[in-house]
Amino acid sequence: MLLSYLKLAWRGWQRRKFFTAISLFGISFTLMMLVVLFALFDHAVGARAPERHTDRLLFISRMVLRGPESQSSSSLGYNFLQRHVLTLRTPEAIAVSEAYPINITLYVGQQALKADRRYTDSNLWRVLNFDFVAGRPYTATEVRDAAHVMVLNETVARRCFGTAAAAVGRAVQLEGRPYQVVGVVADVPTSRELTYAECWLPVTTTTADLQDPNNQRNYLGDFQAVVLARQAADVPAIQAEYQQVLRRLPIPDPEQFKEIRSYARTPLAHYMANHSNDAGQDGDAAAFWRRWVGLGLLFMLLPALNLVNINVSRTLERAAEIGVRKAFGATAGRLAGQFLVENVLLTLVGGVLGLGLAAGVMHLLNSSQFIPYAHLSLSAPVFGVGLGLALLFGLLSGAYPAYKMSKLPANQALKGRITA
Amino acid sequence: MIRHIFTLMWNRRRANGLLVLEIFLAYVVLFAVGTIGSSLWENYRQPLGFRFDNVWQVNFLPGTQPKAEALGTLQQVLARLRATPGVLGVAVTASNTPFSFNDSRTAIDFADRPGGPKRPINNINSYAVGPELRDVMGLEVTKGRWFDQRDAVAGSHPPLVIDEQMQRAMFPTGESALGKLLTLNKDKQWRIIGVVRAYRTDGELKEPLPAIFGPIAPADTLFLPQSLLVRVAPGSGAALEKRLADDIRRIGPGWTSTIRTLDEMHSSQLKQVITRPLLLSVMSIFLLLNVALGLFGVLWLAISARRAELGVRRALGAPAGAIARLIVGETLALTTFGLVLGLLVAVQFPLLGALGERTSVYLTAIALAAGALYLLATICALYPSRLAAGIRPAVALREE
Repeated sequence: MLLSYLKLAWRGWQRRKFFTAISLFGISFTLMMLVVLFALFDHAVGARAPERHTDRLLFISRMVLRGPESQSSSSLGYNFLQRHVLTLRTPEAIAVSEAYPINITLYVGQQALKADRRYTDSNLWRVLNFDFVAGRPYTATEVRDAAHVMVLNETVARRCFGTAAAAVGRAVQLEGRPYQVVGVVADVPTSRELTYAECWLPVTTTTADLQDPNNQRNYLGDFQAVVLARQAADVPAIQAEYQQVLRRLPIPDPEQFKEIRSYARTPLAHYMANHSNDAGQDGDAAAFWRRWVGLGLLFMLLPALNLVNINVSRTLERAAEIGVRKAFGATAGRLAGQFLVENVLLTLVGGVLGLGLAAGVMHLLNSSQFIPYAHLSLSAPVFGVGLGLALLFGLLSGAYPAYKMSKLPANQALKGRITA
Repeated sequence: MIRHIFTLMWNRRRANGLLVLEIFLAYVVLFAVGTIGSSLWENYRQPLGFRFDNVWQVNFLPGTQPKAEALGTLQQVLARLRATPGVLGVAVTASNTPFSFNDSRTAIDFADRPGGPKRPINNINSYAVGPELRDVMGLEVTKGRWFDQRDAVAGSHPPLVIDEQMQRAMFPTGESALGKLLTLNKDKQWRIIGVVRAYRTDGELKEPLPAIFGPIAPADTLFLPQSLLVRVAPGSGAALEKRLADDIRRIGPGWTSTIRTLDEMHSSQLKQVITRPLLLSVMSIFLLLNVALGLFGVLWLAISARRAELGVRRALGAPAGAIARLIVGETLALTTFGLVLGLLVAVQFPLLGALGERTSVYLTAIALAAGALYLLATICALYPSRLAAGIRPAVALREE
């Protein structure tokens, strides 16, 4: 029976190619947009290198000091992280890195190259999973001894030395001193706000003052901590431990500030917090989902309505067919089922087209480097979400026309006298 | 005639309900895009107030050097840079340089006259700049004067320059702000000595905010600026950049510097600001195309369903033009129903002052969106209306 439905559907589409094209256009473009948006989102927070263990990773990257009249917010001081975060007991490992990448100039011979750097400790290589293309990360000993070594990303290494493998062991001039390249990692896209950089250097080689001895009470600075939990279930315990540490801390400048706020957030929570100083530990997840799911549905509603309108209009054309089937005893439920199947089928075809279009758009985005180092692709979750959306869309746009068609009175339908 | 069409369509409101709903949603989309678009356009039309070609931003960090020493080193660095061939001018500034995403905002309670009622002026961009900034950035002084030698002598009231937006915010009636005193930071009073056209460091697409400028004198020992704006000779490149970086490192022990051109900062800032509106407009164009195709399809199908009715009309003497006008009129009547619903939503924004956009922007957007919606509906109805006008009564009536 399904086969005959399929045949009927195929004939129906062929008879009015223009309307089939309109329907397919609407479905495929809607799904393309949704799939690309989801891919962008997944690209920023999904489990990809270097943030492979998204369920076990936490970032402590910001502190807000609040008072009745003023508020001060920034990333954290190196000194603060050393004393109060590296001493946390629950995590498996904790790394320290600069909170924001800083643009620097590298000199190789006569060639000058701009790159974004982060100063880090050696733990970063353990906590995060960078894909090493060549060489190795720098070690704890090298960081302790302030060895002038660096890790580059693949693109910068290629620009400097031709190939990634050729870069290892060579020297790059930075701030008047030679640094030896010890490793090359695969590019990290800029949408990975917390881990993106093009050049990683041992934190001890900085000329800035890390200890800041005059100002023990100053917790703010330029750094962040990357915390790896032993298992996903430990995450709440680590967050609780950090909050406990904060509660015990004296408030700097108590005349001005009354409260210290800082959270250990998952990458997803960080993304959802969107740099807002008011976001909580989960980064205002509820508001985020409300906004985006609402917008997504609204965005789907218009093409769905469009499809409903066209389908309803086409019932007029098919009135005779429906009348005959009704006269020969087809029940309303069976007719509704048929039209629903037809519509879901159309959406699935549109969905496949949409996925193809999405792949094309992603390829365009990747090759245009609009997001530097972007590597958008139709991954399994993206594909699954795309198909799921197509089905939802098909049901959304097919239910009302199916109901309407099944309710057509047979005698009138046969005569072809129906008003929409 | 128009009333007749409206009555016709009103009687068929149930049948056309979904179409009206679709038109309503399309209007909301158009209104949203119109609001964002006209807001950006409005901002873009205001003067930027400075030239950023051939200007470089030099940020430096004095490392572990204590502030008192760093201030001395800075003077040496400035002298060195100014003497470098290819450098036309150097101005010190706080870190809120053009297109840097850094800002320093303040709010004041301002009274027109001493003892008068106070009203707040919020979101004022406050700049601490060296007196050379005018020449480096090409600022245009429209009233009074810029900082000069006279300001080196510490008077009772330090000098302050404001921009025209600030002038308007202080005295909406047009009274000149020159010579007036402005209270900042609780009790310190500043005297306004000049007005510049603008200095919109947030970029040309961001809403213009009022600005105030305080001078950084060479003898200043309180504040260590960490940014320089350098005007270079046209065509300067990597060689000069390396030379400046080397000089700074040689003079300042442990100093590090980052040099970027304002051109490059401008494009990256522009990209960041424009990405979301661009994405939104691509999505809306697609949505509207979708609506247009759908409307066109529905109208076309409706014509073939109404062949008999239209045939009768022709047979009874309606000219082809009248039939075409009827179809277009019906479509526009439907559009009006959707539009009225949409307007009910749209007027809430200026009325409630939601989202903090200017009322003029909302009104422009409401008008633009309505115009675009009618245009869209007319275009969709044109072909079906010609189809309807071409129906020959003899053929149509025989089909019956």
